[in-house]
Amino acid sequence: MLSYILRRLLYTIPVVWGVVTVVFILINVVPGDPARLMLGQRGDPATLAKIRSDMGLDLPIYQQYFNFLRDVAKGDLGKSYRSNEQVTTALLERFKATFRLALWAIILAALVGITAGVISAVKQYSAFDYSAMIIAISGVSAPVFWVGLLLLLAFAYNLNWIPGVGYGDGDWRYLILPVITLGVRPAALLARITRSCMLEVLSQDYVRTARAKGLAERVVVGRHAFRNALIPVITILGTQISDLLSGAVLTETIFAWPGIGRLEVEALINRDFPIMRGGIIFMALIFLVANLIVDLSYGFIDPRVRYD
Amino acid sequence: MKKHGLILLTLALGLSALFASVAFADEPVMGGVLRWHEINDPPKVDPAQVTDTTSSRVVYLMFDSLVENDADGKGVTPALAESWEGSDGGKVWTFHLRKGVHFHKETEGQPTANGGREVKAADWKYSFERLVYENSPRAYFLDMVKGYQDFISRDETGAKEWAGIKVVDDYTLQFELEYPFAPFVAVLAYNTFVVVPKEDAEKWGKEFNFHPVGTGPFCFDKWDHDQKLATKRNPDYWRKDDAGRQLPYLDGVEIVVIPDPTITYEEYKKGNIDCYRDIPDEFYEDVQANYKSVFQERPQLGTYYYGFNNEMGDFAGPEKLKLRQAFNYAVDRARISDLVLNGRFPAARGVLPPGFPGYNENLKGYEYNPEKAKELMKESGYPDGFEVELLVNNNPRHRAVGEAIQAQVAELGIKMSIKVLDWGVMLDLCDRGEVNLFRMGWVVDYADPDNFLYVLFHSSNKGAKGNYSRYSNPEFDKLVEQARVDTDYAKRMELYQKAEQILVDDAAWLFLFHYSNSLLYQPWVKNIHMPAFGDYTTPLYNVWVQK
Repeated sequence: MLSYILRRLLYTIPVVWGVVTVVFILINVVPGDPARLMLGQRGDPATLAKIRSDMGLDLPIYQQYFNFLRDVAKGDLGKSYRSNEQVTTALLERFKATFRLALWAIILAALVGITAGVISAVKQYSAFDYSAMIIAISGVSAPVFWVGLLLLLAFAYNLNWIPGVGYGDGDWRYLILPVITLGVRPAALLARITRSCMLEVLSQDYVRTARAKGLAERVVVGRHAFRNALIPVITILGTQISDLLSGAVLTETIFAWPGIGRLEVEALINRDFPIMRGGIIFMALIFLVANLIVDLSYGFIDPRVRYD
Repeated sequence: MKKHGLILLTLALGLSALFASVAFADEPVMGGVLRWHEINDPPKVDPAQVTDTTSSRVVYLMFDSLVENDADGKGVTPALAESWEGSDGGKVWTFHLRKGVHFHKETEGQPTANGGREVKAADWKYSFERLVYENSPRAYFLDMVKGYQDFISRDETGAKEWAGIKVVDDYTLQFELEYPFAPFVAVLAYNTFVVVPKEDAEKWGKEFNFHPVGTGPFCFDKWDHDQKLATKRNPDYWRKDDAGRQLPYLDGVEIVVIPDPTITYEEYKKGNIDCYRDIPDEFYEDVQANYKSVFQERPQLGTYYYGFNNEMGDFAGPEKLKLRQAFNYAVDRARISDLVLNGRFPAARGVLPPGFPGYNENLKGYEYNPEKAKELMKESGYPDGFEVELLVNNNPRHRAVGEAIQAQVAELGIKMSIKVLDWGVMLDLCDRGEVNLFRMGWVVDYADPDNFLYVLFHSSNKGAKGNYSRYSNPEFDKLVEQARVDTDYAKRMELYQKAEQILVDDAAWLFLFHYSNSLLYQPWVKNIHMPAFGDYTTPLYNVWVQK
């Protein structure tokens, strides 16, 4: 197990190197000069040259690449061109807000989605099943900005149950609507996946055997069927966690939530290369870690999975 | 009789109470925090680096310049300089500084490095030189000050100081210019040219952006990025109101960041923000219908235009003059403003906005005349129209205006396609002149026609320095050069008016609109007055809240 984890961690090195290289190339081919943007609508060429030199943009591209690799290896992602803030500080500060939002959204999604999926499968073709699946299909199809706006208009601006948008200095009431908005889609997805996995497992011979043995339906579903249906559900859950932790631009924009998604979009608009690069590397790391955790969790769910 | 007396007494008491309440309603109230909305986090609040309006909003709260733009944008008024005079034919400018102005004593709840000491002339010299050390994108606005070139190239020249800035005594500062430059004092009102304390600027270095210290009405308190930037009342601010009360009245100002306009409007209606500037077109009618008494709107000192590339391509040179003129006659500006912009942007006949120094009431511009446009197109060799691509930066308003113009010119056979680009890409292409027809706008930096006519059209400024339309006309150049150095105000304005008429006759741009400013505020926000320079420059030192 330990050697498997170490091996996986070692694999992350070439993956991160690949990401760093691709990111560097892509960002440098995007048109738009960050130094020029800093000048505003007009500026003189002498100042532009000085700013470019300060940013290291006057160096040959290969030298910029090696400098970037060297800095990343040292854990230094540089400073934002736009605000001069350390990229690591900016990312960690925004990640705190994103993490808080994503964590609650995924808890909500897992609780609602998996529960609804299991009940739907057990009570297949019942009124609950039909209603849950209609809601799930709507949840997967509904655009995030539409859900967010609707929730805000209803609960914050008409019923006045929620104080408003923003981070609210950590007040939990500000968390409710963005969590629901962000959680709707993964919850719907999880409900559909859980239902189909459960239905497949429930039709297996060993479930029939368990029932024939006279085990209570609660035990058959909970101990024998649900655990075996979990592997694809966990895989989907893992990708959803990675997605949500990488920032949810639309939800963050609508709810004025100071997360990583908004930071990245602003960086893209303003060609803030260090923030763009740092953000993508950060997201890549989140995906790698989340995938590793998901892979490790398979062993706990299914004893047949071995890591040797 | 007794009964009548009682009624009269009640009436008298009632009336006096009413008058008293009316009188008190105009009395400033100390305290309260004003929440000012911005659409994004201010990228820079170090005045040396500021180039955008959001950051400028913050700078206006915390810093002061030598002079300030007056509310109508017609000139400047004293700020930290009480008076000034020009000598040597406009080559030397001497400023007499206000005594008793102190830097912020506290920031972020901690004492500042300067300890709240008084501002002296040496601080100004330091602040101007710091702009060069920090590669300020706006330092070159002062490139006419003697020694600028030597100082920016100090590695080669060995210059230790900016020679043209002299500290005469503690309260007298002098600038010596390379050549007479009439708009010099107006340039100094730009928000980069403020005073900062050396102790704090050196303590923080590049991090000064996150720990700004100035002399303004509000001190920096806390910055939660992408959420809000909080400032607190500066108790030692140099300004007092007419009754001798210490300003500002407010305990602080918070810059609240909400990116989505629909949500911002809802937050305003809910009372969660106090001031919402630059109201988007989609809410304009609703604001007019429901919030007219707390809505200010006035023309802004800026011009919205489509630039022709006058140097190369489909519109270049005198041979394409009629084509450029045809385009100008083909557009019904007033109709587009009504249909797309709620009639908020007045049609432009030329470059200078109404009310701005040098504005010419009698300028001969282009009115909507499709027949004349057709005739000119025929004369220029395009009787059946032609195809052209317009570049606009990504913004719903620019796209909507573009589509309206596209429909109007289509009636003349002009097939205008619209390409939407990121602002950065657009600037790159315009800098290099790789454009035929492009949308651009200009909002004034300083209250002088020089900022429009010299900056945007002088042949030495082609490209990034402002002349994106790459216009060049020796006669025009001569007039604006002469106007820069002449110290006779009336004569200068006359020269600018002549120059502007040449530009219009040459149809250097497709002249479209002048910008408009707007500010929506809560009924409890009192004494707020939006200046012509821009909603983001609205002074808040004399504003109070009365709930």
